[in-house]
Amino acid sequence: MFIADIRKDFYEVVANQRVVLLVAPDIDALCACKILQALFHCDQIQYTLVPVTGWQDLGTAFLEHKEQFRYFVLINCGANVDLLEMLQPDDDSIFFICDTHRPVDVVNVYNDTQIKLLIKQDDDLGVPSYDDIFRDEDEEGEDSGNESDEGSEPSGKRRRFDEGAVERRIERQRAKREWEARRREILFDYEQYEYHGTSAAMMFFELAWVLTKDTKDMLWWAIIGLTDQWVHDKITNMKYVTDIATMQRHVSRHNHRNEDEENSLSIDCMRISFEYDLRLTLYQHWSLYESICNSCYTSCSFKLWTLNGQKKLQEFLADMGLPLKQVRQKFNSMDMSIKENLRDVIEESSNKYGMKDIRIQTFGVHFGFKNRFLASDMVHATAALLESAEKDDSETDTFIKALDALSRSNIDRLHSGIELAKKKLIAIQQTVASCICTNLILSQGPFLYCYLMEGTPDVKLFSKPMALTLLCKYLLKAFSLCSFAHGVLDVEKGTVIVVGIPPESETSDKKNFFGRAFEKAAESTSSRTLHDHFDTSIIELKTEDRSKFLDALITLLS
Amino acid sequence: MFCEKAIELIRELHRMSDGQLPAFNEDGLRQVLQEMEALYEQNQSDVNEAKSEGRAELIPSIKLRHCCLLRNQRCVTAYLYDRLLRIRALRWEYGSVLPANVRFHMCAEELQWFSQYKKSLASFMRSLGGDEGLDITQDMKPPKSLYIEVRCLKDHGEFEIDDGTVILLKKNSQHFLPRWKCELLIRQGVLEHVVS
Repeated sequence: MFIADIRKDFYEVVANQRVVLLVAPDIDALCACKILQALFHCDQIQYTLVPVTGWQDLGTAFLEHKEQFRYFVLINCGANVDLLEMLQPDDDSIFFICDTHRPVDVVNVYNDTQIKLLIKQDDDLGVPSYDDIFRDEDEEGEDSGNESDEGSEPSGKRRRFDEGAVERRIERQRAKREWEARRREILFDYEQYEYHGTSAAMMFFELAWVLTKDTKDMLWWAIIGLTDQWVHDKITNMKYVTDIATMQRHVSRHNHRNEDEENSLSIDCMRISFEYDLRLTLYQHWSLYESICNSCYTSCSFKLWTLNGQKKLQEFLADMGLPLKQVRQKFNSMDMSIKENLRDVIEESSNKYGMKDIRIQTFGVHFGFKNRFLASDMVHATAALLESAEKDDSETDTFIKALDALSRSNIDRLHSGIELAKKKLIAIQQTVASCICTNLILSQGPFLYCYLMEGTPDVKLFSKPMALTLLCKYLLKAFSLCSFAHGVLDVEKGTVIVVGIPPESETSDKKNFFGRAFEKAAESTSSRTLHDHFDTSIIELKTEDRSKFLDALITLLS
Repeated sequence: MFCEKAIELIRELHRMSDGQLPAFNEDGLRQVLQEMEALYEQNQSDVNEAKSEGRAELIPSIKLRHCCLLRNQRCVTAYLYDRLLRIRALRWEYGSVLPANVRFHMCAEELQWFSQYKKSLASFMRSLGGDEGLDITQDMKPPKSLYIEVRCLKDHGEFEIDDGTVILLKKNSQHFLPRWKCELLIRQGVLEHVVS
C-alpha cells in the first residue's frame, strides 16, 4: 500500500527499531541511502546497510537477516516484482520500498499489511483499480458448492429447477471468462512498458524536510540523485525540469543566510547554486576541447567520428574566437578573459550549428577555494567508481568506494572518480566511432543491434550495466531514431550481457518495452538467461543461445 | 663472552617493540641462569682461595665475575618485568579472555600473574561507580557520540550483543551500533569506524 504520511507511517514506526537497508547499485540509490543514514544518525536509529546487486543478492540478504530484523527498507529495488512471493517472508516482516522502477507490481500496491510503498500516490502511476484485477473468492466457492450439490443429487423432480440453475451457472462462467480476459488485457497494458518515477533521493529529502532535519549535504545528495536520473536518461525532460524547480525552491531556502553582507559565511562552508550551465561533461575538470569531443550531445551533433565532423568542430571553435591552444589546456588554466563569457558565447555559436539545447538547468556546489563541482560531474565520477573494473574489487567494494566518494571529506576519492569517468567517456567515444565506421550496427527489422566481441578494447568496462547503457544511448543518438539492443561478451562466465533501449526522440516518454520482450523471447526459445538486474531491460544470456534468442526477439517485435 | 645470552633476551624483546608478546624464551633464561650459577661457583672458590691463601691477584677476576652476575641479574629482571608490562597491556587490549595464540606465548607463572591481575582490576572496577561498578576498559578515548557507524572489513559471522540481538557481520556491510558494543571488534580489526 502507499504510505500517506511518510513521517507517521514510516519514520515513527522505525524510530525505536533496528532496520536493514537493502540498497541497489545505482547513484540515485546511493544518494537516497546517504540521506537516510544521516537522518538515522540524528535520531540514533540502529541499522545495517547491505548492498545488493540483483534479485539473487536480495534474496540471500533477506534470508540472512530475517531472523534478527523485522523492518526492511529497500531502496531502488523491489517495487516492480511480487515481493512476497519472491522472498516468502514471515508474517511479521515489514518492507518499506522506495523505488523508482515502474510499473509497481499490483500485489505490492494492494497488500495492506506487509508492503509499504514510499511512493507518492499520484506519481505517474496509472495503477488499475482493485476490482478490475482481484475478485473475491466467495463467489467461486458458491459456484462449485452448487455444482457439487447438483452433481450428487440428480433427481427427476428437480429437473426444471436444474435447468434454471444450469443457465445461471453458464451465465456466471461466461461473465467470469470475460472478466478474466479483461483482466489479462489490463495487466498487459499496465505492465508492458518499464519506466522510472521520482528519484528516491528526492523522496527521502522530502522526509528530512518534513522532519525539519534537512541540511545542505542532504539537499546536495538529493540533487545528485535527480541528476543521475537525467544523465542516464531515465526520466523525461519535462519531469526533470519540474523536479529542478522543486529543488530550486529548497536551494533558495537554504541560501537565505548567505544574503546578509555582515554575517557572510566562511569560504569553507558549502554553497549550492543554481546554474544554467553547459551540457559538456566534466568540462571544468578537463580541457574544453576534450570535453566537447567526448560529450554525447556535441559529439553526435558534429558527428565527430567523420572527417567532416572534425572540420566542423574547428570551424565552431574559430567562430567563437577561441584559440586552439587555449581550448586544449586544462580548463582552470584558461585565460580569464575567455572564461568570463564562455557560456553565452558557446550558446550563441551552438545555435548556428543546430545545437539548441547546449545549456541545461542544473546545480553546482562549492566549498573551499579549490572545490567546485557540478551535479553531473558528481554523477559521472560516482558512476565510474561504482562500476570500475578493477580485478580485486568485488561489487560490494566498489559500492563502498562510491558511497564514500559522496561525502565531502573524501575529495581524493572524488577526484579519482573523475579521472576514471574521463577514461570511461573516452572509451565510449572510441567504441562508438569504431562501431559506426566499421558498420558493426546491424538492422534487424524492428530494432538495431550491435555486438561487441571479445577482443574489442575496453570491453571489460562495458560489461557493467550502467556503462553499457550509456554506450547504447550514445550509439543510438549517433545512429538515431530506431530502438536498440546491444550485447557485450563477458568471457569469464561465457555469457553475454544484453541491454535494450527504446527509440530516441525529443518527446519520448522513456518507456522501455524490452523487459517484457526479453522475458517472452527467452521463454519461447528456452534460452538460458539470467534476469538478475533490477532493470528488466538488462539480462545475461549464454553465448550459445544468442542467435536463437535474437531471432525470437525479431519475430516478437515485428 | 659473558652476558651475551642475557643481551640476546633483551634484543628479542626490543625487536618486537609494538607491544607484541614473543614466546617465553625458557631456553635462553635457563642458559643465563646456568651462566650465573657457573660464575657464582667460580667466584665462591676464588674468594675462599683469596681469603685462605691471601692471593690478592684473584680479586680483579672476582670483581669481574661479580659485575657479570649483577649484569645478568639486571637483564633477566628487565626481561621478565617488560613481559609483565606487555601482558598487562593485553588485558586492556583484548579483554579478559586472551586469544589462544597469545596465551601460548606465556609461561605458567605469567598466566597466573595475569589471572591475579584480572581479579584485582575487576574488584577495583566493581568498587567504583555505585552498585554495578564501572567498566573502565571501555572508552579509552572520550567518545564523541553514543552511536557510531562501522564498516565490516571481513566476514566475521554472527555477533551477539548484550540485549540478545544478533547481527550478521558480512564483508562490506555497514552498521550503526552503540559505541561500547563495537569497540572490541574495532580494536581487533574486524570493524572499521566510518567517519563521514
